[in-house]
Amino acid sequence: MATKQPRTLSFHFQPADSAAGDDANPHAKKTTLVDDTVAALKQEFGDDVLEVVQYAGERTVRVTTARIVDICRFLRDNLGFTYLCDLGGGDRFTEDERFEVHYNIVNMDAGKRIRIKVRTEEESPVVPSVTSVFPAADWNEREAWDMFGIRFEGHEDLRRMFMPEDFEYHPLRKEFPLLGIPGSLPLPPQVPTGELTLDPFPRAHGSIPPNSFDEVESEEEN
Amino acid sequence: MANDSSLSEGFLTTRVDAVVNWARSNSLMPMPMGLSCCAIEMMAFAAPKYDVARFGSEAMRFSPRQADLMIVAGWVSYKMAHTIRRVWDQMADPKWCIAMGACASTGGMHRCYGVVQGVDNFLPVDVYVPGCPPRPEALIHALMDIQEKIRNEYSVGQDGDFGTDHPAIAPVRPKVLSPSGDDVITPGGLYNQ
Repeated sequence: MATKQPRTLSFHFQPADSAAGDDANPHAKKTTLVDDTVAALKQEFGDDVLEVVQYAGERTVRVTTARIVDICRFLRDNLGFTYLCDLGGGDRFTEDERFEVHYNIVNMDAGKRIRIKVRTEEESPVVPSVTSVFPAADWNEREAWDMFGIRFEGHEDLRRMFMPEDFEYHPLRKEFPLLGIPGSLPLPPQVPTGELTLDPFPRAHGSIPPNSFDEVESEEEN
Repeated sequence: MANDSSLSEGFLTTRVDAVVNWARSNSLMPMPMGLSCCAIEMMAFAAPKYDVARFGSEAMRFSPRQADLMIVAGWVSYKMAHTIRRVWDQMADPKWCIAMGACASTGGMHRCYGVVQGVDNFLPVDVYVPGCPPRPEALIHALMDIQEKIRNEYSVGQDGDFGTDHPAIAPVRPKVLSPSGDDVITPGGLYNQ
């Protein structure tokens, strides 16, 4: 009589991208191996490709700020990178070339993804807008302007994305205090006819909003 | 027995405040100011499983003119605070406010430049609900606290003599007698305010 043998568990799941990383990150996927694209960029733009960083199996290409629109257009028209997945700012908090903008662009047909970075100075942080190439960059550039104060030249409607229009600061800059600057963001009035509350913590300082039946009636009749 | 009960005549006597407060407390219409994940629990609170209709508050009113209980559920940004205050000002008296969850009560984990550190900085809050997010039972308990608050306050009985100081109303709560039967011991714990 044959005894029942335990079977080894077998998984039928086959990931679409098998591991293709380097020693640093053996789990990196083929999607981020874009050596052909980097070579094509180098051939087309030469010295404007400043730096290619290889980390954890991913390629990051740093390019000249002034040519980012041309590079994006070349990637879209010639290399098939048609989808701007992400765009965002960063504060490196360094003396020169303080701010950074990254572009994550995807080739949907080939299943490839490339990350482009540009840097800009603290004095006048200006980066050309890529909305003419990727309309999807619209809100992301507005967010980067709101949070870091990076102006995107050529953006048609560069308003603040999240903070109020009359806010004077760019809150994700490293020097901005975490709890904000008192008085920069007013709270609503404590009573309907009152003034805006400039103290951000009125309750902690003893000001309790009155109940509606305790509110003093307004002199004005509207 | 029927002859010496006033009920046999088809009426009974009570205080106006008691009747009005009874009606108000059992027909609260919440204004669901759902701003983030607490709003999901607030939906569960109104949905059949927790069924706040048992407490007369199933009619969520998205118009401030028709609501008398604002449930601020979620974190409030400085930008949104002005809208909330505006909605609150449009609600008709009498009105009450629940700050639901850690964010609405204190700012919670959002200790940063963009989030108001508690809606009591610009709203008169009646009940704070802890939790992140609070369970629907906790919100039902907050609603019951509001109901108890309503039952213990003056309503229209105060009309006509504003400006006079009223003595505090004795709370309508079960009293605990001492073993000797004369002293009233204030019950501790949850309802001891």
